[in-house]
Amino acid sequence: MSNPNQLHRDLAQIVGEAGLLPDDQLNRYAIDDVVPKVVALPASTHEVQEVMSYAADSGLSVIPAGNGTKLGVGNPPAQVDLILSTSRLDQVLEYEPADLTVTVEAGIRLAMLQERLAEHGQYLSLDPPYANRCTIGGMTATNASGPSRLRYGSTRDLVLGMRVIQSSGTVVKSGGKVVKNVAGYDLNKLYLGSFGTLGIITEVSLKLQPLPEVERTVLLAFTEIAEAIHVASEIAGSQLLPIFLNLFVNGAPLTEVSEPCLMIGLDGPPETVEWQIDTLNTMVQQNASIGVQLYDGQQQQELRKAMRAFPEDQSTSPIVVCRANLRMTDVESFINTALAVDKSATWRMRAMGLIGNGVVYITFSHFPDDDLPVQHVTDTITSLREAAINVGGNLIIESGPTPLKREIDVWGSVGPSFQLMKAIKTKLDPIGLLNAGRFVGGI
Amino acid sequence: MKATDPLISELASIVGSEHVITDPTSLSVYECDGATVFKALPDVVVFPTTAQEISAIVKVANKYNVPFVARGAGTGLSGGMLTVNGGIIIALNRMNRILEIDLANQQAVVEPGVVNLWLTQAVQDDGYYYAPDPSSQQACSIGGNIAENSGGPHTLKYGVTSNHVLGLEVVLTDGEIVEFGGTVEETPGYDIRGVMIGSEGTFGIVTKAVVRLLRKPEGYQTLLGVFETIDDASNVVTSIIAKGIIPAALEMMDHFVIKAVEEAFHWGFPLDAGAVLIVELDGIKAGMQQQAEQITEIFNANNCRETRYAKDEADRQQIWKSRKSAFGSFGRLAPNYITQDGVVPRTQLPKVLRRIAEISEKYDIPIANVFHAGDGNIHPIVLFDERDPDQCERVEAVNMEILRACAEAGGTITGEHGIGVEKMDYMPLIFSPEDLAVMTTVKEIFNPSGLCNPGKIFPTAESYAKLGL
Repeated sequence: MSNPNQLHRDLAQIVGEAGLLPDDQLNRYAIDDVVPKVVALPASTHEVQEVMSYAADSGLSVIPAGNGTKLGVGNPPAQVDLILSTSRLDQVLEYEPADLTVTVEAGIRLAMLQERLAEHGQYLSLDPPYANRCTIGGMTATNASGPSRLRYGSTRDLVLGMRVIQSSGTVVKSGGKVVKNVAGYDLNKLYLGSFGTLGIITEVSLKLQPLPEVERTVLLAFTEIAEAIHVASEIAGSQLLPIFLNLFVNGAPLTEVSEPCLMIGLDGPPETVEWQIDTLNTMVQQNASIGVQLYDGQQQQELRKAMRAFPEDQSTSPIVVCRANLRMTDVESFINTALAVDKSATWRMRAMGLIGNGVVYITFSHFPDDDLPVQHVTDTITSLREAAINVGGNLIIESGPTPLKREIDVWGSVGPSFQLMKAIKTKLDPIGLLNAGRFVGGI
Repeated sequence: MKATDPLISELASIVGSEHVITDPTSLSVYECDGATVFKALPDVVVFPTTAQEISAIVKVANKYNVPFVARGAGTGLSGGMLTVNGGIIIALNRMNRILEIDLANQQAVVEPGVVNLWLTQAVQDDGYYYAPDPSSQQACSIGGNIAENSGGPHTLKYGVTSNHVLGLEVVLTDGEIVEFGGTVEETPGYDIRGVMIGSEGTFGIVTKAVVRLLRKPEGYQTLLGVFETIDDASNVVTSIIAKGIIPAALEMMDHFVIKAVEEAFHWGFPLDAGAVLIVELDGIKAGMQQQAEQITEIFNANNCRETRYAKDEADRQQIWKSRKSAFGSFGRLAPNYITQDGVVPRTQLPKVLRRIAEISEKYDIPIANVFHAGDGNIHPIVLFDERDPDQCERVEAVNMEILRACAEAGGTITGEHGIGVEKMDYMPLIFSPEDLAVMTTVKEIFNPSGLCNPGKIFPTAESYAKLGL
């Protein structure tokens, strides 16, 4: 299987020339500097099966992808033979608005789906970075989420069912198309967040929400992080129902604010939103906020977009992006730990905390002359990871340069449950075809 | 293989002989759950208090090659806790402590035997509650809820058990004690916590759970509408959702249920009504009145005969009591009943309910309906007398036709009760042999000996024959 021309010819027989990424674009799919031998974009479930069986017969590894926005998440691959992208499977298969559910092919981009749903006053309540690029299949495989997971949860909470092609080529279904379903095992949960290691997701059924009548975003700035977190926990324990509640440290997107600040999303019927803004104002007067700003209209749309993109915001050229999962009450000390580390370094650390979820994104950027002090960064992340683990949390490196990722496992240890995970991988992908070696514990 | 004397004495040495039941009269209490038509006598029931004791029990069961099944409060509705070939019931009633309440992080740690409602009662004065609320919440245990991935009226807005569990401590089928998930929302690796929830006690025994607590809503607005026909009420359901309103709950009762409930509790429901809808809004008070008005308009546009609004919390509790006690009143309708649990897309409700009425007529078996209309989760109550073999035969045909109708409408055969022994035969209606093969593979990973709760979920060769497949 060493001859790239042969590989190209064989696959073209299955997916056609249009189903193969031109060689000069292969770099776009490079994972940790390893360029794939070929990127196949099958246009039907049948073609996906054919490509899989070809790969299995030829001893090629397969890395499943949507549009590739999260392709880099995972440990560096030993080799990248074939990337199988579902981005040409992009149809809405079933949509009955009054059911508030939709079934789509995996490769449909989120923004495209949202457009279609908006025609009927509905939307999929997920807001990961870059809706115009990420696909529903990719979001499912990575259990994607954004700031509004505070109210609506992550992809895990909204997927009703899916169709998956196993490494054997067999098409199987999990879950269903209705909003409640406990028939048999909930295998949706296995594929959600499995990063393509258990099968290729080709079809997803999802739960929808009506579009809110009104959307507002409130920005509150504080002199101290402690004050910001105090107000955030007060909000979390109050009758307010924000759709997001984000803390920014060392700069918030699209604003001049350098102080710690909170961004709070309020969606719903006008009276409900109005009441929440009033209540927030009262709360803030009793606390040490140094500035309040209310956003709506186009400005708000841009602000929210920038906020969602925070973990992958290229304008600040983050070199390392980590995500810590913590309890709400551990967020403050974790961010302080990160800041303490930051003070001793020359680079810049920024943080976005999804306070109500206990999720903290930390980004590092501005390394001296872009020369990455690998050992120093490794030590920093290791100590941050320990800080998270010490309070029952964890820390995942979402992106980082290859030399760093060779030094440190991006997932961290998963503990005694690993034996079961390993068994699941071995049984469901016995030939080890899918995204080999990049998931937890080398799965 | 049956439980033997040496096995029983080993169990007694783990939990103490006073916590072991072997005499047939006492055992008979454990021969069924809420689906009382299915019965199987266990050989022995043990009452452990710790994960370590359960681990030891499981190891003994493995040593003697005897099946074991965990049991919570026995309120299940699919025979999920039945010891179909005898064996050990591990009753979790003594593991009923709320171990930790952490309001700042909106979570609690509970043992599996904690009764669902107790948790809400423990935190309600602080303004919190545990959202999943099965109708049996005064009796059912959180461990059982996790095994079945239980729902309830308020899942429409708040989701099912799986959306409210962060972490689990589990005794695996070989006796090993492992934790999945934790006190944070996500942990790296496969979501084994998620796969464990709803596995109907076949993957191990949950000994501890970290669950979410929610802030109690600022206000409620509960409306009750009386309709001439089921069709009118079904159209209301579709219109409310289409209007962009997601109530916290949207429940329907048909004329059979109205009558039974009225005769038992005297709430003042009109006996000749075709259907009653209960719609509950919750959340921020501001704006709620406007939504209630929109709903009232939808009621009126669909021939609503009468609309009532809960005046206060006591009134609201009354309405819910009438809904949740409905099951207690079916004894008035027939000596026996089976509660079906199909789900259909909301827009298919009128069609499927009409089909169920036809099935009822065709087999001359009365069917009452009380269900979670907003979710499309129907609960046809099939009424019969188990002493009449001819009726029993017809009931079997009725069950199959109802579930077939749900499957054909694009739905599923169970929304919250589980497959258990009750619906094993119907699994091929919604899953292909390939789909089921994946489930079998996963089961073999968690439960390689097959001793943990055998004889559930999976269809047999006979099932396929019965379905004509």
